[in-house]
Amino acid sequence: MEMTHRDVNGVDILELSGRFDAYEVPAVADWFNNHPQTSYVIVNLSGVGFIDSSGLATLVKGLKICRQNNGDLYLSNLSQAVFIIFELTRLDKAFKIFDDEAAALEAVHPEQ
Amino acid sequence: MRIALVTTYPPSKGSLNEYAFHFVKHLRGKHEVSEVIILADELPDGQTYPPDDETAGNAPLRIRPCWCFGAWDNTLRIRRAVTDIQPDVVLFNLQFATFADRRLLAALGLLAPWLAKSTDTVSAVLLHNIMETVDLGKAGFGGNSIMERVTRLFGTIFTRALLRADLVAVTIPKYVDILTHKYGAQHVVLAPHGAFEEIQEPAYDLPDGPLQIMTFGKFGTYKKVEHLIEAFALLKQTHTQPLELVIAGTDSPNTPEYLAGVQQQYAHIAGVRYTGYVEEEDVPRIFEEAAVVVFPYNSTTGSSGVLHQAGSYGKAVVLPNLGDFAELIAEEGYTGEFFEPDDPHSMAQAISRLIDAPRHRQQVGMQNYVAASGLPMHEVVDWYLLHFERLLAEKSTSPLNATQKAN
Repeated sequence: MEMTHRDVNGVDILELSGRFDAYEVPAVADWFNNHPQTSYVIVNLSGVGFIDSSGLATLVKGLKICRQNNGDLYLSNLSQAVFIIFELTRLDKAFKIFDDEAAALEAVHPEQ
Repeated sequence: MRIALVTTYPPSKGSLNEYAFHFVKHLRGKHEVSEVIILADELPDGQTYPPDDETAGNAPLRIRPCWCFGAWDNTLRIRRAVTDIQPDVVLFNLQFATFADRRLLAALGLLAPWLAKSTDTVSAVLLHNIMETVDLGKAGFGGNSIMERVTRLFGTIFTRALLRADLVAVTIPKYVDILTHKYGAQHVVLAPHGAFEEIQEPAYDLPDGPLQIMTFGKFGTYKKVEHLIEAFALLKQTHTQPLELVIAGTDSPNTPEYLAGVQQQYAHIAGVRYTGYVEEEDVPRIFEEAAVVVFPYNSTTGSSGVLHQAGSYGKAVVLPNLGDFAELIAEEGYTGEFFEPDDPHSMAQAISRLIDAPRHRQQVGMQNYVAASGLPMHEVVDWYLLHFERLLAEKSTSPLNATQKAN
């Protein structure tokens, strides 16, 4: 799996591609561990074709960090296969999910 | 958030007590949780639950025994307790025989989540198995075919009652599919079992002495050890290395005296050790000493806590070729050797493939460790808390709630 990070107007954007499973989560988990003050994050999953429970758990961990910092973690560009996993776990109700990154960015109103 | 958990809990020896022990431990460590109250089953005379625990850094824990295995009025008792303590959320840690070993009493207990909801508390259920995939005969609820049909009909009715809870969590995707499609439920969630502990990678070394073949659990219903003992006898005929069979655990509450009967029946086979109930502090040693862990199940059981434990200790496992287990293996990354249920020869061959090949055994154990360490239970607990927060937020903004508050 590959992960790239961009900063757009104070919003951290993580773009992931490949399989997001137990073998690949450390990169994303490490990013959150190294950025404990982050508040608004958009995770763009456009390149992710598979996510397992440990991938979901890493996103939940990120969501908790953001909310503890009075922010939020938004998801964008979910493939159908990935969205089905979110529906199965009903975590689609816990995360705010957007069709694309631009829509997610529009929804972010960070206190700056 | 004040959370009540209706469950068995150590030192109660009822099913799912270990799961509850670990779940509560992780729940208490979450900053969102201000108090955990366990609504536990009453203990036999002479036994008591631990006192209230207010250890710093953890949410306070209180244990209130309020229901009794086999009692007809458990639903009412639990409702009264929930009314008294008024938690924000009440979570039921259930399987179909949690409240009794007789059909009617077991079923009546399953009305508790519905009644608890009527106390204006968010009611959630963690359902470890579902009626549609349980082999009733092997689970101790068998009888003739008419009785089985009647039981399934009532199972459907009581499943609908369970689904009146605000949230129903299951541990296998197939269960979500069944409850969603058969019952039209839209509030069923997949919440993986999770590994009890976040653990260091095991050493994979074994102690000196006989190679231990171990099984762990509560036996007598769908977990039966007769064929395992027969497989062990076959292995002793074909192997020169010293072997020991360790049967770790107790009778299922539904089958008292089962293990005593087995012990008597197979007294002529040497090398079989019965440990009795394994205290929490002895669990690591029991797993670490085992060369392989065998699951002598002949029916579907839902996700297995023992499988996750075996994975946590880096153990190679021998599993029945049953739908749920095969599915769990594939989806959660576990691996093992499979046998045909109720076939001692097949089981002996599967065990043999692991004990004869130490390198293969270690590779299987390592893969299971990776699978088990992928999702620790403390992360699964976060999923529950997210769901609870959402439900509490929905409740606080619902027009009905606003009306009730106004009145």
